[in-house]
Amino acid sequence: MSGDRLYAGVDVGSATAKAVWINSAGETLGSSVIPSGGNLADAATRCLRLAAERAGCAPDAAACIVATGYGRERVPERSRAVTEITCHARGARALFSEARCVIDIGGQDSKAIALDDQGRVLRFEMNDKCAAGTGRFLEVMAHLLEIDLDDLSRRALAGTSPVAISSTCTVFAESEVISHLAQNQPVDDIVAGLCRSIASRVYGLVSRARLTPPAIMTGGVARNQGVVKAMEALLGSPIHVPESPQTVGAYGAALIARDDNASS
Amino acid sequence: MDLSQWIAPFEKVTGDYYAYAREAAERGRKVAGYMCSYAPQELLYAAGYLPVRILGRIGETNRADELLQAFSCSFARSVLDSALEGEWPFLSLVMFSHTCDTMQNVADLWRAHTPGTEVLIVSVPSRTDSEAAVRYYTAELERIRKALEKQCGPIPDEKINEALSLYREHREAMRELYGLHAANPGRLTGAQMMHVNLAAFLMDRAEHLEGVRNLIAAFNAAGAQEPDGRPRVFVAGSMCRHTAFIEFMEAAGCRVVGDDLCVGSRSYAFADADGDTPLEAIARAYLARTPCPAFHHSTRQPGDALVEAVRRDKAQGVIFLLTSFCDPAAFDHVPMTQALEKAGIPALTLSVEQHREPPEQLRTRVAAFVEMLQGSATP
Repeated sequence: MSGDRLYAGVDVGSATAKAVWINSAGETLGSSVIPSGGNLADAATRCLRLAAERAGCAPDAAACIVATGYGRERVPERSRAVTEITCHARGARALFSEARCVIDIGGQDSKAIALDDQGRVLRFEMNDKCAAGTGRFLEVMAHLLEIDLDDLSRRALAGTSPVAISSTCTVFAESEVISHLAQNQPVDDIVAGLCRSIASRVYGLVSRARLTPPAIMTGGVARNQGVVKAMEALLGSPIHVPESPQTVGAYGAALIARDDNASS
Repeated sequence: MDLSQWIAPFEKVTGDYYAYAREAAERGRKVAGYMCSYAPQELLYAAGYLPVRILGRIGETNRADELLQAFSCSFARSVLDSALEGEWPFLSLVMFSHTCDTMQNVADLWRAHTPGTEVLIVSVPSRTDSEAAVRYYTAELERIRKALEKQCGPIPDEKINEALSLYREHREAMRELYGLHAANPGRLTGAQMMHVNLAAFLMDRAEHLEGVRNLIAAFNAAGAQEPDGRPRVFVAGSMCRHTAFIEFMEAAGCRVVGDDLCVGSRSYAFADADGDTPLEAIARAYLARTPCPAFHHSTRQPGDALVEAVRRDKAQGVIFLLTSFCDPAAFDHVPMTQALEKAGIPALTLSVEQHREPPEQLRTRVAAFVEMLQGSATP
């Protein structure tokens, strides 16, 4: 690491804060994901420090730090704030150079981003203010079904005949799940149905933004194979899921920090 | 040169939405409320009223929610709520235009729930480009004139002609101000321009004109403003009661250089017309306007005038402030966005509640749109 400049990106989302440290070649040196909690500034700082520790560098070693996510303006260490649309586009394109669109499903927001042939943002759509089609929807359902969030993916794939979840509203969908349980439907089929419901909700945004493949999926929900498979079926094309979909926005922010530093 | 001192008189008026009209009423002047820019303000002015445009209130609308369905727009709710809360006790009359079913029903509710206030409904022809429309609207204005005369005595033709001249001069001055603003963005903020616009609906037209002329003189004296490279954005839609919507756009790093709002440039983008009578002149001038979404022209497509205005103001992108549940605006929004796309102009649509603070997520969308425009500017 001798003499090489370091950059960091921090993405303070509604559910989790993510940080990524990179070197000037754009390689990830360390990353972290922690719950955002009630103090966004504190979460950002702790997250950046943890990622620095994992990268094996001092917490103040970054030449430039870009903050993103809905808590972006609260990050004390930021050189500047950039929206998650731009950061996800930047990070996604760097990880998957063919990408012409990004489908991001986070804790509170879902986004459909169309990219031009250079990877610039062409159009985007975001979900309306409610939790339908977001990670929060899955969290509520996982809690209701007493399934670990990370286990939802496996259970969804095990479901053989997904139940129909017709409500888009999280609260109404919750009562629908309860009726399915009352009818003794297999839990795996219910989970598969929930994943399909999220995918079809987000597919509305995908259509509105007129996305075309190749697609990359980012955000925490991309870790759920059930949702990815359902989205692939709707899109009629395979979706690239990066190794760490949750940190793509933070990675994009780190790359923008590097670009900023190079041009300043 | 800072122009804030020339904006201050307008901000003072918009700062307390009711004060100007209330004080005028206390001095003995009759005050007439109106809802829509198609209400014949010249006629009200000629009759001696202070015409005041009712744009509703910022805040909760609990009283109106008792009477209106959940799918009524926020403009209708806030307008009705201000009446139910008794915020307009000094109005001699209220004039509605038949723009949509929701506002027609708000007129009836206003009549039912605020006894003592005369409620007039002007029926503006929805197809604007025919001689039949001119005859119909002229006859409608005759009917309104008679109704006003019952309250305030005869309205001589020369009074109407005087009002027509004043309103024409005011429109010309506002167009000049818009031109200066578009050529020198940053000299005034978009929000300051919105204060000038909103004040026009509250103040006596002659007094507002004087303020606008002072502002134009100061603007000219200040000389040209160097461009600062921020993306130039044009705001489309209809209402913008709350300047916070413009403020948060500019806080995201753009310059709002022009608008196609019914509370903005659309009120000024038309010329006088000739007529056999002053009322026919009003009818012809109003009907020759680029129709707002509540009205239709048989050959002009919604969107053509928008693309033209965006190009004139050299804007790089358009942000729509679409009032949630406004069906007429939603219908026109489709051909408008198609026309923009055909012209290669990026657009962002925000579905908004007019009487609330802009929610955080809208800030993110606007900031991302501004970043997108900046990205498209770099090679």
